[in-house]
Amino acid sequence: MELFKKTNKAPQDLKPLGIYIHVPFCRSKCEYCDFYSLGGGLNQESMDLYLEAVLTHIKEAAQRAVGYSVDTVYFGGGTPSFFGAQGLIRILAEIDRRFLLERGAEITLEANPDTVTAQSLEKLRRAGFNRISIGVQCDDDAILKALGRPHTYKQAQMAVAQARRVGFTNVSVDLMFGLPNQSRENWMNTLRNVMSLKADHISCYGLKVEPNTKLYGYRDCANIPDDDVQADMYFYAVETLESFGYQQYEISNFALPGMECRHNMKYWLGHPYMGFGPAAASDFGGKRYTAAADLDRYITGVMDKGIILSECEDIPLRERAGEYLMFRLRTAHGIEENEYQQTFMLPFEPLEKLLGVYEQRGLAQKEDNGRWRLTPKGFMVSNSILVQLLEAQQQSKPLAKVSR
Amino acid sequence: MTDLSKLRNFSIVAHIDHGKSTLADRLLEECNTIDKREMEDQILDNMELERERGITIKARAVRLNYTADNGEDYVLNLIDTPGHVDFNYEVSRSLTACEGAVLVVDASQGIEAQTLANTYLAIDTGLEVLPVVNKIDLPAARPQEVKQEIEDIIGIPAMDAPEISAKNGINIHDVLEMVVRDVPPPVGDREAPLKALIFDSQYDSYRGVIVYLRVMDGVIRPGMDVRMMATGAEYKVVECGHLAPKGMIPCDALGAGEVGYLTASIKTVSDTRVGDTVTGVERPAQEPLPGYKQVQPMVFSGVYPADGSKYGDLRDALEKLKLNDASMSYVQENSIALGFGFRCGFLGLLHMEVILERLEREYNLDLITTAPNVVYEITKTDGTELNVYTPLNYPDPMEIAEAREPFVKANIIAPQEYVGNIMELCQQRRGEFKDMTYLDTTRVELHYDMPLNEIIYDFFDALKSRTRGYASLDYELIGYRQSKLVKLDILLNGDQVDALSFILFADSAYARARKTCVKLKENIPRQMFEIPVQAAIGGKIIARETIKALRKDVLAKCYGGDITRKKKLLEKQKEGKKRMRSFGSVSVPSEAFMAVLKLDEE
Repeated sequence: MELFKKTNKAPQDLKPLGIYIHVPFCRSKCEYCDFYSLGGGLNQESMDLYLEAVLTHIKEAAQRAVGYSVDTVYFGGGTPSFFGAQGLIRILAEIDRRFLLERGAEITLEANPDTVTAQSLEKLRRAGFNRISIGVQCDDDAILKALGRPHTYKQAQMAVAQARRVGFTNVSVDLMFGLPNQSRENWMNTLRNVMSLKADHISCYGLKVEPNTKLYGYRDCANIPDDDVQADMYFYAVETLESFGYQQYEISNFALPGMECRHNMKYWLGHPYMGFGPAAASDFGGKRYTAAADLDRYITGVMDKGIILSECEDIPLRERAGEYLMFRLRTAHGIEENEYQQTFMLPFEPLEKLLGVYEQRGLAQKEDNGRWRLTPKGFMVSNSILVQLLEAQQQSKPLAKVSR
Repeated sequence: MTDLSKLRNFSIVAHIDHGKSTLADRLLEECNTIDKREMEDQILDNMELERERGITIKARAVRLNYTADNGEDYVLNLIDTPGHVDFNYEVSRSLTACEGAVLVVDASQGIEAQTLANTYLAIDTGLEVLPVVNKIDLPAARPQEVKQEIEDIIGIPAMDAPEISAKNGINIHDVLEMVVRDVPPPVGDREAPLKALIFDSQYDSYRGVIVYLRVMDGVIRPGMDVRMMATGAEYKVVECGHLAPKGMIPCDALGAGEVGYLTASIKTVSDTRVGDTVTGVERPAQEPLPGYKQVQPMVFSGVYPADGSKYGDLRDALEKLKLNDASMSYVQENSIALGFGFRCGFLGLLHMEVILERLEREYNLDLITTAPNVVYEITKTDGTELNVYTPLNYPDPMEIAEAREPFVKANIIAPQEYVGNIMELCQQRRGEFKDMTYLDTTRVELHYDMPLNEIIYDFFDALKSRTRGYASLDYELIGYRQSKLVKLDILLNGDQVDALSFILFADSAYARARKTCVKLKENIPRQMFEIPVQAAIGGKIIARETIKALRKDVLAKCYGGDITRKKKLLEKQKEGKKRMRSFGSVSVPSEAFMAVLKLDEE
């Protein structure tokens, strides 16, 4: 009986799967960027080889995805729009051919304002892309320029308008705060102006100066707003966006009702996804693995059937329990006692005790449905909170199996 | 065994930086004790810390073979000694193994406080003191005047003292000739029952305790059964020998008058007390040699492992260090805030610094130390007497009838133009002026009675900075005097942290309380909530600062590729937090404790 069930799955029994494509090409590298991308402009030969490798990789990996149906696809980077519509469409077509791609799947493209045209967007929309995430960052051209972004705010406005015109009904914009030379007033202006773009979804990221970026080298004299100012900027954004109907559903993400990014939610809910391209991460079959952040190694690895992974780990249940806290608490969905205890066989009580303390300090709240979430104030210090919760979790003893 | 008449045992004493260790280097070279290619500066200071700081911490013995101008071969045992006031006990121990002391005086600086202190130690021990004027090649050298100073102030003949430059090897030969000529050969009866004085010991993980000794009577041979007269412990000698600059040279026998070492598979550290007498089991001596005056630690501090689970490691490390350093003491202490640790006694602040640094380096420990304090005497209202070694035991103010603190007689030598500055400083530190004398036309010696507590923190540094480094200081304990004392408590988020409490003079409490709160504020990282930092005396808050709540500690972006990294990041943050001590809900890094110790460095 058990066997039968596994081999003959009814369509509704298929497990959902997300697919992430890492496109590691950019026109130029931004000052703050530490993602794996090649910022050297157009190199057709590398792009062709990359395309071949990704297509081959998809074909192979799909064989392992029996029993899954793909409900989200996300093209990130890098700058996927810089890679060109034709290549992107070929990749999407290959996914459709090799995987079971659901009809209503969310298919997202990351784009920069300087690399989209009306024609390319129209092609992409027709090929099935239905969500676009545009890197706007801020409305001050001087700051954009200093960050090394090759576009103006005007171009960003045009890109949003073009996306709308060709039929994207789900448009997201990325914003950044805590930027060099950005004042509170400057950020307030950006938010006000961006409201008129009428995006469906807005991501607001606090700048984090990472090692191995250009900015890191001169961070001390870059006039970066201090932590207090950044906190003010964040809370102002939360307030403003809420007042315009954008609900905060994750630390840095806001959406009109129903417009949350389903793909990204998978990361925070711990649902499976497969990644393609160098530096792309996957969480599939109980393992989490990452491809090497090296285009040549990725290409030769895929083509010669060699090793392409730089990391691969089995995640035991106890560690998943930690991830549950780390990632669910990033979201407004939060965590819940029964869900937690039944999944991980660990007591919720030590966590709830701490959460109670956070609630008194305005950092967490218990919703009417019994779920615990962090408040915006709590989000902003979530690392400190998580360290304490994880410590409490580590010290807790597994619950005895409930006899039935 | 060397004939007694061919033996000379001597040490070198001097004020710090007058060139003891450099002279020792030159003497070694002159006697070809060490190959030129093996030679390095401060060769006897083989502790890493000594070389780094350019100071001698431990006395070190070495044997030299010297053929004198008269054609005879001599064996010279040289003991290099520390110059800092904290390490006086090392000097006094070394001196009992000698018959003579070479007194090195800097030709430009003349007599300094430690020159006097160490000379008197040598004279009290009954040694022949032989002055040497060093650094004569410096432009500011004034050897004749310095010799006059030695005669006038110390009262020993100095006109024939060799004028040398240890640095550049000038007239080193004269020093050796002087040692042979003027240091009396040791006396002792090699036929008598064995009597050897332990002047130092050291732990070696392969051979057990290595005992350094001076044989007074009789002979030590390998295979012989010996007894430590104070502890009664008996051992069979495995090896005995002489001390070479780098290592040890075994020999068949050590006879009366000789300086050397023995090993006997001694594992119990406490069996070999420095100052004890070694005798033979078969033919024991009737009476032990007079031991040393037991040195009393003057400064006490709580020492705790930063990681509470390392308590056992700390205990083992202290036990081993104690073997090399009899002057340190430790007893177990239990703090509510820091858990198990030790209350350690030190001779002074430099001594404390050195011990703590050695614990951290040689035993790889992370430590939290509490503010050092002196020993206070309390008479309670019910008439009982109490010695307070730690603020943890300070009685309730209501129970105190009288409190007393230790005073020292401080002896400061400096050029006269700084007298004003020195007086001002001493007054600030509650010093009571006794007298002032002119050593010569330009230099004066000042005497003050001062609370020891005022000296131990940073008095010497303050003195140096107010006299452009020209002043020198020496002090000795003169007893206890009544004083107005209070215990200052520190509260974090309303909870008292016992490890941060300290005892001090009542009138200094407000200033100190304010400074402590500020320092803690600067050194405790912001946390998820606002933390009041308060200082209180007997429940009354006298100072307050606030650590603002942490407002940003977040990873803004976290998508598929970031997950592993994010986990590692939190793991690291968790480790960082583990290194902090939590008091209630407040996490305090060990740096905060250190910062409070260095309160006066402004």
